[in-house]
Amino acid sequence: MTRERVLVAMSGGVDSSVAAALLVEQGYDVIGATMKLFCYGDEVPDRPCCSLDSIDDARRVCERLGVPHYVLNMEDAFGRDVLQNFVDEYARGRTPIPCVRCNSFTKFRDLLHKADALDAQWIATGHYARAVGGELLRGLDPAKDQSYFLWGIDRAVVSRMLLPVGALTKAETRARARALGLNVVAEKPESQDICFVPGGDHTVVLAKHLASGDAALSRGPILLSDGRRVGEHEGFARFTIGQRKGLPGGYAVPMFVTAIRPEERAVVIGPREELLGRGIIAREMNWLVSEEPEVGAQVEVQIRHHARPARAEIVRVEGDEIELALDEAVSAISPGQSLVIYSGERVLGGGVIEAGMAAGAARVRLPIFAA
Amino acid sequence: MPAPVYLDHSATTPVRAEVFAAMEPFYGPKFGNPSSMHRWGREARAALDEARERLAAALGAHPDEIVFTSGGTEADNLAILGVWRLLREKGKRAVVTTPIEHKAILAATHQAGHEGAEERMLAVDGAGLVRDESFDALVREDAAVCSVMWVNNEIGTVQPIAQMAEKARAHGVIFHTDAVQAFGHVPVSAKTAAFDILSVSGHKIGAPKGIGAIYIRRGTFVEPMQFGGSQNRGVRPGTENVAAAVGLARAAELAVEELDTEMPKLERMRDYLQKELETRIPDAVVNGAGAPRAPHILNISVPRTDSESMLMALDMAGVACSSGSACQSGTVDPSHVLEAIGVPRELAIAAVRMSLGSLTTDACIERVVQLFPALISKARRLAGVAS
Repeated sequence: MTRERVLVAMSGGVDSSVAAALLVEQGYDVIGATMKLFCYGDEVPDRPCCSLDSIDDARRVCERLGVPHYVLNMEDAFGRDVLQNFVDEYARGRTPIPCVRCNSFTKFRDLLHKADALDAQWIATGHYARAVGGELLRGLDPAKDQSYFLWGIDRAVVSRMLLPVGALTKAETRARARALGLNVVAEKPESQDICFVPGGDHTVVLAKHLASGDAALSRGPILLSDGRRVGEHEGFARFTIGQRKGLPGGYAVPMFVTAIRPEERAVVIGPREELLGRGIIAREMNWLVSEEPEVGAQVEVQIRHHARPARAEIVRVEGDEIELALDEAVSAISPGQSLVIYSGERVLGGGVIEAGMAAGAARVRLPIFAA
Repeated sequence: MPAPVYLDHSATTPVRAEVFAAMEPFYGPKFGNPSSMHRWGREARAALDEARERLAAALGAHPDEIVFTSGGTEADNLAILGVWRLLREKGKRAVVTTPIEHKAILAATHQAGHEGAEERMLAVDGAGLVRDESFDALVREDAAVCSVMWVNNEIGTVQPIAQMAEKARAHGVIFHTDAVQAFGHVPVSAKTAAFDILSVSGHKIGAPKGIGAIYIRRGTFVEPMQFGGSQNRGVRPGTENVAAAVGLARAAELAVEELDTEMPKLERMRDYLQKELETRIPDAVVNGAGAPRAPHILNISVPRTDSESMLMALDMAGVACSSGSACQSGTVDPSHVLEAIGVPRELAIAAVRMSLGSLTTDACIERVVQLFPALISKARRLAGVAS
């Protein structure tokens, strides 16, 4: 019998390395692939950045597992679908999640095409989530669950996904790495940063891609919600809804960014109460289940990674736009972040948050709130 | 699965049995240092001297014109930077080369640029041939060195080296040629072409990796890149790799002996492969066609496919090809050579280089004739679905 072939996206980190190793153990015909998504070293002419440590680590793991390893140059597509969107979103005063788009477009679309070319029926990653019976489920380790980042993939792809570490805890994954002798990666520290924002300062990336003097990185006013001007900032793209850092002090209560108004270059601040919202509008909705929930359906939603799910009702669906009313107010609904809709551990779908609405907005007068 | 097919001889070749046999004693009893005065040293010195003579004979050169190096890259660096650093003292101000050289030449030229040289790039035509008018305009008295690759490693284009060397000499410009892909594939001789410096590499002709040589014509001088003992008359100090030098000499002799029989054979197989692929894939484009081409290289682009996926699919089916020169990480980037000869981007990213050699048989070629078009139509079917 010929073994089923799987293309494993390998970052050189412990999760995807263990994923590949587990699949080898399970008898799959494993092919490792590391995507080269951006160039670290374009300031060095004729010295392409082709020996990044992470690529070397992934290759060493594959050599150890005795499986082929390829490096795929996906810089063009990643630049177009992920990096450019990241820059555009910040320039619009929003807070994007590039990892979501990377999963939707780069990993589970473009890389899937490479899998097709190799007759690989399966595609695997080191995500902490599970694909079972054509549906996407949360990872078993609640501390690591990454299903929040996977709502945007094409539903048909879910039945081709293998997510072997989704059933493990991070500690178990590290233990497996050690047991498998994958010393190269077993003790690597957790990566917290966005991969193309090493050091965590996203404004460095923005400054490189935006024209000098772009509004997003230029001085503008800090306002209170009543319009009073209370200070200045050095670019609204440095701020995100709910942020405290970098705001003027001297208030009786802690102040947070409550809104960003790119057309006025303004950052609006206010006390914690002004961060609360009870309505959400999201766009680019993508469903991962065959029966899409309809208006009136009760669901659970998550508006950021690691947030506790909140109960909500769907109040409007128009094309790929959705509007939800939350049972209880949640804090810091940030345009650009993802709205992911769950039913227990099942991911039903998700979208990109367009707006959050404070309590008292029109939709909040709906009967469910009166009940 | 059928036996694997290796069609990447331009990347490297297996060490030939005769070469391995010639080298073996020097990894055993004949281990001496050629600079030692005792019997072990004499034995090694004799072998090294003989290797130098035999390589010289294969290149139509005198033994004192041969310096062993670690490979083609070192030889290329010595040629560009060694000449530039010596002649800039004498008022020369430019280094001339082509945009389709190996990275070893291009990067060494950039280094010369950092050291004050004007970098002059010769214009090439759509098949990779250097344009005469560009050569005449750029190869002037103020240039220290002009370097042109004899056979292009990606597309196989053969430059009229003898003619260029004459013209360069008439202007007092040192002429270097990177003959890494040429030697063993086209006639290369210092007697019939007036190049001043030439680079060769062992592992492209059945000798091991890590050995190469630079030919430096009597009366031409280069500044050393490294300093130490007086080996190789100080041009390239360091205890010589005797075994590898012996291997290179043996491989060079065999290459010259077999040139008249092996090359027509490779050419016949390459031409058959090309004709069959062109018939089965009517819109396939052969890169570098229209110029004299070395017999062992076929570089082909099929619209609406990409090299990366094709190379992986070929590899999975057991067929080894490449897209051009290999990058350290293994990524497939659009080739600077194809870009320079004006191949449109959508074809450049689809290029597959097949290079024939000692492991190639008619059966290998037949297998690729069957397999390649099938993989192409599959890739296109998938591309059609994707778009």
